[in-house]
Amino acid sequence: MNLLPVTVALAGLLALWELAIALFRVPGFVLPRPLDIATAVMENPGLYASGMLLTALEAIGGFAAGAALGFGLAVLMVLFRPLERALVPIAIAISSVPSIAFIPLALVWFGLGPVSKVAMAALAVVFVVLLNTLNGLKRPDREAINLLRSFGAGRLGILWRLQLPAAMPAVVTGLRVGLARSTIAVIVAEMLGAYAGIGQIIYQATVQVDALHVWAGVAVATAGSLLLNAVLVAVDRRLVWWS
Amino acid sequence: MEERPSLIAPVATAIVVVAAWWFLVPLLGINPRYLPSLSTVVADGLSIRSDLVAGFWRTFVETALGFLVGSLIGFAVGVVFAYIPILERAFLPILVAAQTIPVIAFGAIVVIWFGNTILAKVVIAFYLSFFPVTVATIRGLETVDRDRENLMRSFGASGRQIFLKLALPTALPLIMVGLKIGVSFSLAGAIVGEFFGDTVGLGVLLIQALYFEQVPRIWVLIVACAILGTIPYALLVLVERRWVWWRAE
Repeated sequence: MNLLPVTVALAGLLALWELAIALFRVPGFVLPRPLDIATAVMENPGLYASGMLLTALEAIGGFAAGAALGFGLAVLMVLFRPLERALVPIAIAISSVPSIAFIPLALVWFGLGPVSKVAMAALAVVFVVLLNTLNGLKRPDREAINLLRSFGAGRLGILWRLQLPAAMPAVVTGLRVGLARSTIAVIVAEMLGAYAGIGQIIYQATVQVDALHVWAGVAVATAGSLLLNAVLVAVDRRLVWWS
Repeated sequence: MEERPSLIAPVATAIVVVAAWWFLVPLLGINPRYLPSLSTVVADGLSIRSDLVAGFWRTFVETALGFLVGSLIGFAVGVVFAYIPILERAFLPILVAAQTIPVIAFGAIVVIWFGNTILAKVVIAFYLSFFPVTVATIRGLETVDRDRENLMRSFGASGRQIFLKLALPTALPLIMVGLKIGVSFSLAGAIVGEFFGDTVGLGVLLIQALYFEQVPRIWVLIVACAILGTIPYALLVLVERRWVWWRAE
């Protein structure tokens, strides 16, 4: 990929940002300068780093649990079809609710600590991975399955040798969508009620109408999420090289 | 064409879930703090029906306005980017990266800019639907077959005709996917905007129910959010079945 146009575009956006502030004399409480935002983060690096670390750990923990649950359920559903017919409508119904609507429930059930955030992250990812895995596992056509069966492969053999490898690209798509949703769910949950975390830092700054530190929190959350996503993409490329 | 899924299993599941929630939950003595019986939830919902209707309508208006503006501008920007390669190469990676970051956190900035007004929620719903629709439009227009385009051109078709008769129909199935993602993001954005403070809306009611730990009310609002999320989604699916029934290539 050619990085030049993207670099120019990002530099252009930053220049436009600075220019708008200079031209229209935008006050700092409306739009702080990019450099001021960076300075605000660097003045208190411990606060932002520890907040983002907690948020990331909660997101990763919930993401791993939710993804494993969704993947496992999908495999079970392929092995026992009645389970699929019974549970998929429930899964679609629950996943049609915006997951942030469950945040108050998670906070009442699990308290203001990390458990409620992990639960929300798991909820945000489980159905995406479940439905994507299910679609992926059904991708091999009848003829390929019949061929393996005629060579004496059992149900588990077909699952392991044909359906799982064929499903992995779809699973990876589900994981990527799911990770973004997990991070969002954790940050919004932290805004509503938490002792720490980047979402809580952003929320506190918003309540105090402190635009500079809202921007600082949002910038750290953005950088952290980009990093998390990059790690996931790198892991995917290593593990699922055939997609 | 794909066969229509049978409605028997979903309906049967719905009946079982409703019956279990209504009768089995009190029978098993499940702590109402975790799951109150459906009869309690329904009674609570009826007791606040005027607030509920007002909140539902307000959140719906915020979602719909934000989504309409966001998808129209998203579509327009997507078309411009798809036809100006240098812009696409410069901005598509940024737009794609924007989908992996919690852009909803920028809602805090929007609230500082516009205060606790309806405009703040509309703006959040707007930019949340803008990103997926723009990316879907660019991706959809990219899949247009160059040979078919050249064929049409050699028969003297104008750029406008090529766009309306070839490019747009090719892109529409993907654009529909973007619209469906966009509308659910819009709703989430409107609700989160209300979390920061307001007087009317489902998000406001959710916050109040959280502060007073009213679990039945939280369930009422979860169901309300589900219905609010399903209506625009179902409308889009109907539009898709009626007018965009062909598949992406």
